[in-house]
Amino acid sequence: MSFLAMFRLESHRLWLRPLAWVLLALSLAWLGWNFTLLLGSFLASQVQRAALADSPGYVDLVAVPLLGQLAQLAFLVVPLLAMSSLAGERRDGSLPLLFSAGLPASRIVLGKYAAVLLWLLAWLLLTLAMPLSLAHATTPDWGKLAAAALGIALMLAALAALAVAASAFTAHPAIAAVLALLLGLALWTANLGAQLAGVDNGVINWLAMSTHEQNLLRGLVSSADVLWFVLLIAACLALATRRLAAERERG
Amino acid sequence: MTDAHSAAPPVLQLDRVSRRRAGRAAVQELSLALAPGQVLGLLGVNGAGKSTTLAMIAGALRPDSGGIRLQGEDFLERPELARRLIGWLPERAPVWPELTVAEHLDAHGRLRGLRAAELRAARAVVVERLELQPLARRLAGVLSQGQRQRLGLACALLHRPALLVLDEPANALDPVQVAALRGLIREQAAAGTAVILSTHVLVEVTAVCDRVAILHEGRLRHEGALRADGHAALERRFFEIAMQARAA
Repeated sequence: MSFLAMFRLESHRLWLRPLAWVLLALSLAWLGWNFTLLLGSFLASQVQRAALADSPGYVDLVAVPLLGQLAQLAFLVVPLLAMSSLAGERRDGSLPLLFSAGLPASRIVLGKYAAVLLWLLAWLLLTLAMPLSLAHATTPDWGKLAAAALGIALMLAALAALAVAASAFTAHPAIAAVLALLLGLALWTANLGAQLAGVDNGVINWLAMSTHEQNLLRGLVSSADVLWFVLLIAACLALATRRLAAERERG
Repeated sequence: MTDAHSAAPPVLQLDRVSRRRAGRAAVQELSLALAPGQVLGLLGVNGAGKSTTLAMIAGALRPDSGGIRLQGEDFLERPELARRLIGWLPERAPVWPELTVAEHLDAHGRLRGLRAAELRAARAVVVERLELQPLARRLAGVLSQGQRQRLGLACALLHRPALLVLDEPANALDPVQVAALRGLIREQAAAGTAVILSTHVLVEVTAVCDRVAILHEGRLRHEGALRADGHAALERRFFEIAMQARAA
């Protein structure tokens, strides 16, 4: 009940913020423009590809690259969206009000996280609607598209958890956004040095988000990759909960 | 306070509560009890520990040591008791700026576990009592400080708490609103709500409280019923305590 109340309050507040609408409008406009470019390129190369056996199709050349664009935008959009979730409450002095309503720190964190997830889900669905609007005219590889969509959904959920955790550690939303952006980029590129050195199977590769995301975008759904995202989300939310509970203890 | 209320067990009991903040002892070994219908004025100069005490009573801050009981139950073991038993108006009445006044009340009601029908009824009562109708569709972020205080008070009263915790409630209110606030506090006390009111304005205490506690440097220096000679005696006692501490 208290989780639902918190989720409802935060969702409502999120949709009332101009920033959420500006982010949605601008990012969808950018993705829409990219969709038309990808589609144009796909149509232009249709004749050449028809001559090839096992040539890449609509999902490979339009839908997955579009989701890749969304993933790139997510590094900026998710921190901006979630930066105020806890830092804003702390800045406005309203966090103690939530404590005094008898809400445990875990419900506050989960309620806020779920509200951000709902927005991100809407963002993902609106983006997916672009390639799906032409699905009737093509023969999409539904399995590959579903795997890529799952990969992006997991990535958005992980970045959101990271941003909520960053927001739990400061009273300044801008600092929370920068922190979340840098942590997200660091996680994505953690294995860059290892790749340049030709190391493929090290722990550093396992730590990098890109290793797990790229598998899913290629259509390979492995429980190890899914588990990596679930572990990251759980760790970030546990950290945020612990920080909030400590704040009530320490003041 | 009515006789029926005075016979009831305490709504609030603080037992040797201590709390350090910013490296100093903000509250030390504070013990207090408050029965239903009682109005306790918590007095003290700035930095005396009033707001820290109220934040602990409201459940926003945990004491380092000591115990707090609400209606006989251990509040530190069961912080969820705050949800239905406590209404808190913090200093400066924080708001969610993007919500309207009506949305604010709805959000607070849901957070306090009120069901839709209960919430509608409770909202109508506090909106009328605090004359918030003209402000109902206004965003909380653009309210004046006095209007925010009234909204904060409405949120604190919405779920009919057994204990009302008010931190400087008359801040930024005009004289007419201050008089209305006093009437509201008396009305709540008559209905059996225990009220704890923090202020550094002595006249606020003599106007509405039937007991007074004076804090200085985190310690309870005086606690008892307001005497018949009211304001003058309280003022004398308050300055005695402040001066003694300064001399020491």
